[in-house]
Amino acid sequence: MQMERIKRVFSMTPFQAALLWISILLTGCGLQKDIDVDLPAYPAQLVVEFYLMPGQVPQLTVTETTEYLASPTPAVPRDVRVVLSAPSGLKDTLQFDPGYDSLMQKAYTHRGTTPVQARPGDTFTLDITDSKGRHVTGTATMPALVPIDTVEWKFNDKPDDQRRAYVLLRFHDPDTPGDYYRFQVHRDSISRDPEVDYTPEDRLNNGQEFSLGTSYEFEANDTLIISLFHLDRSYFQFLQSVQDARNANGNPFAQPSAIKSTVQGGVGVFTVLSYQRRTIIVK
Amino acid sequence: MPVSVFRFLLLALGVWLLPCFVLAQQRTYTLQGRVLSNAETLPGASVAVPALNTGVTADANGKYVLILPAGRHELVISFIGYQTLTRTVNLRADQQLNLQLTLAGNELGEVVVESSGTLEQKLQTTQMSVERLTAKEAKLLPALFGEVDILKTLQLKPGVQNGGEGTSGLFVRGGSADQNLVLLDDAVVYNPNHLFGLFSVFNSDAVQSVDLYKGGFPAQYGGRLSSVVDVKLREGNQQKPSVTGGLGLISSRLTVEAPIVKNKGAFLLSGRRTYFDIFTRQINKVNEGDPDFNPIPDYYFYDFNAKANYTLGEKDRVYLTGYYGQDRFGFNSTNGFNFNFNWGNGVGAARWNHVFNKRLYANATASFTHYQYSITNKLDQFSFNLASTIQDYTLKTDFEYTPSERHTIRFGAMGTQHHFGVGRLKAGSTDGRLNFGQDVTYQGQEAGLYATDNFRASDRWQLEYGLRLTGFQSDADTYGGLEPRLSARYTISPKLTLKGSYALMYQYLHLVTNSGASLPTDIWYPSRLSVKPQRSQQVSAGLSFLFGGGTYLLSNEVYYKWSRNQVDFRDGAQLFVNPELDAEFLFGKGYAYGNEVYLEKKSGRTTGWIGYTLAWTKRRFTAQRGTSGINNGELFYPTYDRRHNLTVVGLHQLSKRVNLTGALTFSSGNPTTLPLARFVFQDIYGSDAAAVPVYPNRNGYRLAPYHRLDLGVVWKLKPSRWFPESDLTFSVYNAYSRRNPYFVYFDQVKNEDKSQTVGYRARQVSLFPVIPSVTYNFKF
Repeated sequence: MQMERIKRVFSMTPFQAALLWISILLTGCGLQKDIDVDLPAYPAQLVVEFYLMPGQVPQLTVTETTEYLASPTPAVPRDVRVVLSAPSGLKDTLQFDPGYDSLMQKAYTHRGTTPVQARPGDTFTLDITDSKGRHVTGTATMPALVPIDTVEWKFNDKPDDQRRAYVLLRFHDPDTPGDYYRFQVHRDSISRDPEVDYTPEDRLNNGQEFSLGTSYEFEANDTLIISLFHLDRSYFQFLQSVQDARNANGNPFAQPSAIKSTVQGGVGVFTVLSYQRRTIIVK
Repeated sequence: MPVSVFRFLLLALGVWLLPCFVLAQQRTYTLQGRVLSNAETLPGASVAVPALNTGVTADANGKYVLILPAGRHELVISFIGYQTLTRTVNLRADQQLNLQLTLAGNELGEVVVESSGTLEQKLQTTQMSVERLTAKEAKLLPALFGEVDILKTLQLKPGVQNGGEGTSGLFVRGGSADQNLVLLDDAVVYNPNHLFGLFSVFNSDAVQSVDLYKGGFPAQYGGRLSSVVDVKLREGNQQKPSVTGGLGLISSRLTVEAPIVKNKGAFLLSGRRTYFDIFTRQINKVNEGDPDFNPIPDYYFYDFNAKANYTLGEKDRVYLTGYYGQDRFGFNSTNGFNFNFNWGNGVGAARWNHVFNKRLYANATASFTHYQYSITNKLDQFSFNLASTIQDYTLKTDFEYTPSERHTIRFGAMGTQHHFGVGRLKAGSTDGRLNFGQDVTYQGQEAGLYATDNFRASDRWQLEYGLRLTGFQSDADTYGGLEPRLSARYTISPKLTLKGSYALMYQYLHLVTNSGASLPTDIWYPSRLSVKPQRSQQVSAGLSFLFGGGTYLLSNEVYYKWSRNQVDFRDGAQLFVNPELDAEFLFGKGYAYGNEVYLEKKSGRTTGWIGYTLAWTKRRFTAQRGTSGINNGELFYPTYDRRHNLTVVGLHQLSKRVNLTGALTFSSGNPTTLPLARFVFQDIYGSDAAAVPVYPNRNGYRLAPYHRLDLGVVWKLKPSRWFPESDLTFSVYNAYSRRNPYFVYFDQVKNEDKSQTVGYRARQVSLFPVIPSVTYNFKF
């Protein structure tokens, strides 16, 4: 929860502090070199990224894991059959139809034909098979919508060229424990990298008011898109494990983390997005 | 622990030791006293009676007790850096005799090439798997940045691995760093490291000696599975005031010692401080205004040691010990971002030594230890504070009773009140809109009761057998254990002995860390709820052979250790400020076995040792708590597993003023975890797509072997008016600049304009190239 936010804002954990010192030493010494490593073979697994967005045509990406030192070109299996089952029991086979979504700035491999309707509590199931006998399954339930109470901003008292505002979003965490959130602030468009992106949880202040904020980093007249996602536990753990795995590469103090997928039989995530969004112009 | 169980164990201990008291007394007398130099006691000094093939080592108070037949005996008293003394006594009654040794050569002792204790003594003792090192020995050897570190010197002994390049952590016979009981004058030190483990907290100017027990643990020690690191501070000069100091590449030291009352008591104060921060501040100042320059954070550490002793009377003596050290890491920017990260130990101990009679004496000790780290962040109006502590209050008493020349009995008890501040979080904003916190604390009580007898059964057989009963309570959870200890020595010939030992150990405190390295943010956690005490058993056997006219000692020890309730943590465990931290633990079994060969030469102009260890360390964590365990329940090697480890240490006295030293280290590469695969992760919005590594197994890859040569010269300077004694110590760390692997990571290879990833590569990072250093030491 807020601890995560603060950690992100202040960004320098003890591990990073240690790394910083080590990196100072290393920078001084320049002691890095390329080496050859023999890694054991790792059978390719299907990788799924499927974010169902209510009211939108479903699209997902199915790729494969590749050996780390292999070519950077993503491996895209072509003979993958994807079946999405709605809460009503209706099944929709998503066609292999690779494309690029310019709004979301991402590639997809499979796409449905009609927008999906979903309400909080609805459960969808996913079934993916391919000609190599790989079989990935998953279920996803849409979390409840958590309304944004307020979004406000405040400028510092510095001269105009250093005048910046922070943004504060408030909402009330449900009384039940085990709620997870993702807070994002995009500048101008969601097609750009978010300026702020972190995932708090209600472990330490369940059922209380949450204040999620940023540092003083926005200029006057910035258009900001504030998003609050309500996540389920498995999606939150997946995001956390992805972050841990990325951080472990190059950090001698980190314990490498396995990816905690929300799907079975492969790697990846299948979830229904539940979010609220506000657009503001800071003045 | 129920009272009835304690009674039963007391009875059991009594029965166990009964034979010692009923043995027929011979016509013997007690010879006892202290081994001193300038009235400063010399723990570890040897008092031998060669004609009777017997001898003892002075205890922590410098006290020795010999029970000898009536008549005339020749005593040989020796200790590192001191001239060997021969005294004749004619025993017709119990006798008190203090033995004064004088320094050999020079008082700084740096150019005295002789190791602590004698090889003969080491051959004869029942205790096996122990390494003793004095600060004077450690000072002879080359050191990283010239900073003499007695713990790092211990890493050169067989059976001891380091935790990585330059670090002072000890991994003893397959045990992890948190399984070492680190004691400073009987008080526990929870984090013995400065600078993320690159230096230990022990200032070599203040330290007298350190004993490292790798196995065959005496019954007076308990609470950790793998080793005991027993550090003793110097007591101070009872004859005259003196000042010792040193100026080094990264730190300076100053020690003052003086009599409180001549020949009755003395004090010692010692301090040191690094000065990285002075340089980094200057660098920051020079680069101020450069937009491409990232200011370097401030970092420094300091520590103080104090010790005082006073003789109250013929039978009573008191000792006070104090340590306080802090590491301070800070960054304060002009744009409102402040970050401070401080950590350190505070330790205090008061000991009363009382002699009841010539056969019985006791030490009563009250000690306090405190470790804390705190992180304080402030950015604009927001603040965030995180802290963790562990604090102990301990009372213990130890008795030593010598009923006959065949038996030396030690018994005692201890109790500790633990306070675990597992995590304290406070966050807020100056406008009050944000204000929350959490404080997770636990209490624990630990107790121990022990008795042990050193029984010289015959000229050939000597046994040390004992029992230790331990108990631990945290809230409603209570645990207990009985820990038998046994050591035996059989003298095959005067030059050849066979030794064996067995020890069972319990550990009730657990270090919470997921870093694989020793970091200041690691948290100590009590046995409670599902977290059961760790337990290990070790058997070892060894052969010692003295040859070359007593000049060389060749030892070989084999050991096997098996442990249960070893701890690890789930992937992605939430370790900070978690009131349900016990749910994040995983439990497994550990196995370690190996063979240690050790050749020592302790006298002559050239001394040193060669140690070789062949060892295996394995762990198994089966499926549990909704996980598939670690590596799907298969055996795996922890990061400190090293198959081969070779150390060659040589010291040569070139002249009275010049000493040459060298240390060569080779060890197999340590296991590490590398990703076997990757996948592309686009996230909800694909603008920040990235490659995510996949780590299917832990520690499946071994880094390249580690080897390094360190060289040193100690050059004693001619006396000057102000500094009658001084020297220059030159060290070259990693003399041939071997690029030893510190860690390996995978990196993207970009095209020329850095816009596209065209491949991936493995990069090996090394920490220290060749590092020369010079230290100036003085004494007046």
